[in-house]
Amino acid sequence: MLNLRTLWARLKGQTAQRREDEALDEEIREHLALLEDRFVAQGMSAREASRAARRQFGNVTGLKERQRAMRGFLSPSEWWQDIRFGARMLAKRPFSNAAVVVALALGIGMNAAVFTFVNALLLRPPQQVRETNQLVEVWLHNPKSNGVQSYYPFDFPDYVYYRDHTKSLEGLMAFDGDGTEAIWNRHGTGEIVHGQLVSGNLFSLLGVKAAMGRTLVQDDDNQGSTRQVVVLSYPFWKQKLNGDSSVVGRTMMLDGAAFTVAGVAPAGFTGLLIATSPDFWAPLTVQDRFTHDSSRMKEHSFWLIVAGKMRDTTDRKSVQSEMHVLSKQAIQMHQSKSDPRKGTAGSDEDLLDAMVYPLTLVPGPFRGYVGAFTGGLLAVFAMVLLIACTNAASLLLARSTGRSREMATRSALGAGRARLMRQMLVESLMLAGIAGAAGIAVAWATSRLLVQLKPASIPLTLAIPMDWRVVLFTAAISVATGVVFGMAPALRASAVKAAQVLKEEAQTMGRRKARVRNVLVVAQMATCVVLLAGAALCVRSLMNANAIDAGFDTHHIALATLDVGSLGYKPEKVNDFYGRLLERVQQLPGVRSASYAHFLPLGTSRTSMSVGKQLGKDPNAMTVDVYQVGHGLLQTMGMPLLRGRDLTEKEAESDKPDALVINETLAQRLWPGEDPVGKRLFLDGDDKTTSEVVGVVKNGKYHTLGEGPMAVVFRGSLPPRRTLVVRTQGDSRTVLDALRHEVPIVDPLMAATDVQTIEEYMALPLFPARTVGWLLAVSGLMAVVMTAIGLFGVIAYMVSQRTHEIGVRMALGARRSDVLRLVIGQGVRLTIIGLGIGLCGAVGAARVLTPVLYGIGANDPGTMCAVAVGLAAIAMLACYLPARRAMQVEPSVALRYE
Amino acid sequence: MGDQKSEVLQGTLDLMVLKTLYAMGPLHGFGIARRIEQVSEGVLDLNEGTVYTALLRLQQQGWIKSEWGTSENNRRARFYTITKQGTRQLEREAENWERVAGVIEKVLRLERQG
Repeated sequence: MLNLRTLWARLKGQTAQRREDEALDEEIREHLALLEDRFVAQGMSAREASRAARRQFGNVTGLKERQRAMRGFLSPSEWWQDIRFGARMLAKRPFSNAAVVVALALGIGMNAAVFTFVNALLLRPPQQVRETNQLVEVWLHNPKSNGVQSYYPFDFPDYVYYRDHTKSLEGLMAFDGDGTEAIWNRHGTGEIVHGQLVSGNLFSLLGVKAAMGRTLVQDDDNQGSTRQVVVLSYPFWKQKLNGDSSVVGRTMMLDGAAFTVAGVAPAGFTGLLIATSPDFWAPLTVQDRFTHDSSRMKEHSFWLIVAGKMRDTTDRKSVQSEMHVLSKQAIQMHQSKSDPRKGTAGSDEDLLDAMVYPLTLVPGPFRGYVGAFTGGLLAVFAMVLLIACTNAASLLLARSTGRSREMATRSALGAGRARLMRQMLVESLMLAGIAGAAGIAVAWATSRLLVQLKPASIPLTLAIPMDWRVVLFTAAISVATGVVFGMAPALRASAVKAAQVLKEEAQTMGRRKARVRNVLVVAQMATCVVLLAGAALCVRSLMNANAIDAGFDTHHIALATLDVGSLGYKPEKVNDFYGRLLERVQQLPGVRSASYAHFLPLGTSRTSMSVGKQLGKDPNAMTVDVYQVGHGLLQTMGMPLLRGRDLTEKEAESDKPDALVINETLAQRLWPGEDPVGKRLFLDGDDKTTSEVVGVVKNGKYHTLGEGPMAVVFRGSLPPRRTLVVRTQGDSRTVLDALRHEVPIVDPLMAATDVQTIEEYMALPLFPARTVGWLLAVSGLMAVVMTAIGLFGVIAYMVSQRTHEIGVRMALGARRSDVLRLVIGQGVRLTIIGLGIGLCGAVGAARVLTPVLYGIGANDPGTMCAVAVGLAAIAMLACYLPARRAMQVEPSVALRYE
Repeated sequence: MGDQKSEVLQGTLDLMVLKTLYAMGPLHGFGIARRIEQVSEGVLDLNEGTVYTALLRLQQQGWIKSEWGTSENNRRARFYTITKQGTRQLEREAENWERVAGVIEKVLRLERQG
């Protein structure tokens, strides 16, 4: 029995193995000497006495082994011995071991790659920030709603209220989660830079010290007296300003306003939000210099992500209850201020609760989704690793049967059961260790490859460093892997019955041994079916998604985003700029047509308004997406008009648009069975307008490719920020450079951003399906190859073990086809059982996938059949190769072999 | 070897070693083996090496402790002493053994019935 005291004694003994070894040697020597003295005194000769003493004492080597094993858990010298021996055994079979290592390395590597993302998204704290465990984030929550949509960032007045009234928090900071694009006027040319608006207390609360100059302070952020100051990021300062040490105090022209450089942030600090790395930070109160939107400082404009630092004396629970109280007070404040005539009283946005989360780089409300997504991927690759483990276990089992004589010999020479087991475990752990090291490399390469799947158009920089957490995780799964696949062979080796094995000249295959490997193959096959079905469903849905009609052309279109608003031009000058640019672009070679839109369908930003057939209380009123477009956009984008006409140039440019184009769905909802052209529609936006429907356009996809029909409106009155849409004759890539080139010719202060083809633009809506599809395809492929190898191994082994029997059968008149049937039959049995179990599992697992599938049922019978048939075919091939060898057995040779 | 010898029962060696140390005071392994041999009057077939296994086991439990001393022929030897805990354990074990031995004796005395 191993109780606590013994455990402790062993732990201590572990450290003193060598000294104890010597002590025991001395004791044994002394004991033998005393025995010999005694026998000599009884009249024996020295030689007789020595022999008698040894007989009486018993097996010295065995005793030493036993003592050593009892004393501790590991003896360093023995471990070294095991490792050297293990290395020799591994080197003996370089090819099969390399195969095992490669399979395990891929399995471990893919898991580590996914974990790298889990780490970067969920585990890594914000860098360069002190006391991260004291930080919390606060989100407004609409208790009447659920899901991600029920969470709101703060509006400015609410932030100020919470900031000024909290007691449990040392301070409450806020930043703009969306980031800000600004044009940096540098020696007369415009360059796009990315900024983040932050509250003045953010740097001090996070304990971030400036690398040079100072960070932002509270006084920079006073609403009454705004200071136009910025703090530069370290990489921006290094790369764009060449690390100029005299930058502090200088002036930078950003969006036409002069900002003073207060300082440079420390290297590594990128703020509190995942995937953003701003070039500069500016105080919240100067936001309208960048957004030109003063309503952002008012109520109901939710854009501030809010975080706080807890006092040492509080915990998250008490912060949560305080925030709850503050939210009640805020509601009262809203209600006392509200004006019933404006109809804002009692709106959901005035009744928000506040929720507290620990601060991580992924905002609290989304953490669950990110966790579920990455967790799902980890589960998939854990299955791949399990298949790889099964293969390794199967191979080592076969080998351990071959090594039973070695084990028996060692056991006869005094090696204990534990010792033999350890030897086998050391060998599998060595395999796993090599695989783990290689797995790190695989993970490194894979995670970089995956980041490249991210569409280039989104200005996100995802840092996926491989820090100690990733290394620790990889080491842990490697060890776990080694133990898992090494356990069965180790138990087998240690259970060897020395006398029996050594006596028997011929080695016979135990039925039990075969059974364990058969079970492994069946498990492997079943896991493979589950994985493959999932992978096939996702890949098919990906193909469907690519084929989905987005309602506009997804080829031969080039895009560029422009924002003259940042230059503070008057409306006439804005229109002049866009008019001249359009003229020049239309003249470019290869351009068929060009137009402008505010936002495009399937983008990340959109505008929505309430529409109805009559003003005021309208039972038919509904909220629809409104796309502000220029004349000719519908045709340029390839959105076919079903009825009526496009907006004229005059209608599109007028401030009060009285003409609209609607889509099929809206037409059917408002005027079922009627011709909507000529009808009037009321838009309830910031200005209440009525407009005439002049055309109906074909339905498209607007939010996601998987959505059902949605009602949308196209109208004119483009804002200063526009997307230039260019239809080209051939490959749209050829005009991208020309577009970039044309913009500064028309206005040297302007720069086009997001210059891209429509294919690149479509990468974003396709991104989730692409990543999942890619990963699952890889996992499925790995699973199939490994399963085929596993089955091949088992059948080949069976053939080699039964060569003699097959020879006898053939000598007795069995035909080759009989032999083939015998061997294949074995494989078929295993395959059918595996496929059966696997299909049941796959049907269950496919349910989980339903939300990410496009245009395909989770239990798509075609896919399931294809998987089953395909896998069966591969399994048959894996069986056929060894079966062919069995057929070629020469009876005379096989019989003589005995 | 004509005369019959009995094997040492599993677990009884520890008890014998403990009792010997209790009765005789500090002894080295050889001394313990001699003492047991003497008491058993040559009936037990004792593999003397196993004494050391028992000693290590008892030491790990904290029932005995050891220190280096000098043997009869003036060589270094390890002497084992029973600890307080060991004495308590010995009492428990001895009691337990007597109970079990009593039961076995009674069972062996059963007459054949019918």
